[in-house]
Amino acid sequence: MKCPRCVQRIHRAAAACPHCGFSIADADARFGKDEVSLRCLTDTAGLLRRGDRKRVEAWMEKIQRVFPQLFVAVYSGALGEVANMRQFGFWLLNRAAFDDVPPEKPNEAGILIIIDPESKAAGMTFGYLLDPFIEESDTFECLSRAHPYWLEGRYADGLLKLFTQLEVVLRKRNRQARRDPERFERKVTPPSQMGDLVKRIREGHRHPAPDSAVTVEVER
Amino acid sequence: MKSVLMATLLCATCVSPASARVEPPLPTWEPEERQVLEEDGWFAGKFLLTDDPMEEESEAPSPKQLDVEAPTADELADDEPPASVIPEKYLSAYFGERSEEFIVDPQGLLSSKDLKDRTEFLRYHAGDSSINLYIYLFKGDQEIPGEVREEEIIERFFSEGKPAAVVYYYLGAPQRSVFYLSPSLTDAVSAAEQRRALQSSVIQAFQSAVAADQLEAFLVQMSIRLYWMERMLVGNVRASDAMPVLADAAVTRSAETVSPPTLGIVGKFIVPWIPHALLMVMIPAVALGFRSWLGLRARYHFPEFDVEIRLGGGHAAGVGAVISFANAALPPASQRDQVPDYLRRA
Repeated sequence: MKCPRCVQRIHRAAAACPHCGFSIADADARFGKDEVSLRCLTDTAGLLRRGDRKRVEAWMEKIQRVFPQLFVAVYSGALGEVANMRQFGFWLLNRAAFDDVPPEKPNEAGILIIIDPESKAAGMTFGYLLDPFIEESDTFECLSRAHPYWLEGRYADGLLKLFTQLEVVLRKRNRQARRDPERFERKVTPPSQMGDLVKRIREGHRHPAPDSAVTVEVER
Repeated sequence: MKSVLMATLLCATCVSPASARVEPPLPTWEPEERQVLEEDGWFAGKFLLTDDPMEEESEAPSPKQLDVEAPTADELADDEPPASVIPEKYLSAYFGERSEEFIVDPQGLLSSKDLKDRTEFLRYHAGDSSINLYIYLFKGDQEIPGEVREEEIIERFFSEGKPAAVVYYYLGAPQRSVFYLSPSLTDAVSAAEQRRALQSSVIQAFQSAVAADQLEAFLVQMSIRLYWMERMLVGNVRASDAMPVLADAAVTRSAETVSPPTLGIVGKFIVPWIPHALLMVMIPAVALGFRSWLGLRARYHFPEFDVEIRLGGGHAAGVGAVISFANAALPPASQRDQVPDYLRRA
């Protein structure tokens, strides 16, 4: 887990980045605090032709069909700087209201892909539902598949390759999660268990109470 | 004035018709003029313009009567019959036995060169085809004697052995040709097909006016038609075993594609294993197909864990990778380490 601004590692319950102090409030200040209404495929940069849109939408629907809990969203637009991409992704997935996503699917189940054709960069952001299962390297693999196509300006083809790899990754993680769910649960479990252990150890070192029945029996 | 003159002439004509029939005298030659013209040579209308009497053609002398003896009665008996009938002395050569040669020409109607060429062609045909072609040559105006029954002869000579087609060919008159097939073929090849073969050959023969060339064209076309008949027959033989005589022909043709020993090995060792092999292929294929079908229908559900909110984000804080595709010289591999910009090397 990394901070969207300074890309430094942060702990799992940080209210703000311990390194740079970044939080959603900073993103709201930059991009706006109001909810943004948009569709899963929002091509504000105009990268996709009509036929391309259909192909991309078909793949997005397929992923939603295979993984009924999840949905995929694609946003293209000019963001100015590459450094803003992580912050924008973090902010958009928290503030967006996707019109074509059923209400029973919250943004926690979303995977957002952002393409900035101006700065020639792309990034991925995912919700809390996939937090235990997807790692940064997985998203990097997906983006790498699209890289050669995006170099040539074939954005739709790149997206399809990205979706293909994403499906592979999700299937793989799903199999692993079914086989060993504790492994993934440990990643997101709050550190309270450790506190309980310490508490038990401390209790073990306390002096026993004088009115304890066991103690009385021993003394007799 | 004119009207008076015309009236006078008209009256003169009507009154004295006899005087009008009197022709004017012909011009006569002056002796000097004639002499000059005669010195120059011939001139047109010489005989018309002169009063010289025409020379009478002398009558040709009657030929002398040849002094030849009249034929005797024996000579008259041995005299050759009219040219329209095949001489009896050739009949045995024609119809006495099955000919060893493909061209039967006891009368020597073909020149030796043509005979040699046509025979070579027919031998070549016999080597290439399962139906031999025999040609009986006659003169264009000859008739086969009534006592010779052609069909019976064909039946007698060509019922056994290699199937054959026999043509009675009249040199210079190909339209008179008659076509017969050996009995083993007559049932299989329809009369219409035989007629078409003969007609097309005759048409080809008539492309030339020379009798020898006509025969050559006729033979070539007939050979082609026999080839097609043969192909048709091979198909029939495979469909039914009704023609045992043609079985050899069918085997000869099919031997080019599949030799009988190979077929035996295939039939003996490979054919019994075909069902097993098919099963061995089909079962994994079906299993794979079923698995793919299950995979297509599969739905994946992730377990849901309670995740603590980070950075104040109510729905997400999972920031994935960012990749740049601005430069082909900057491959994804060099972007794997997602580090802050200030830590990147220039």
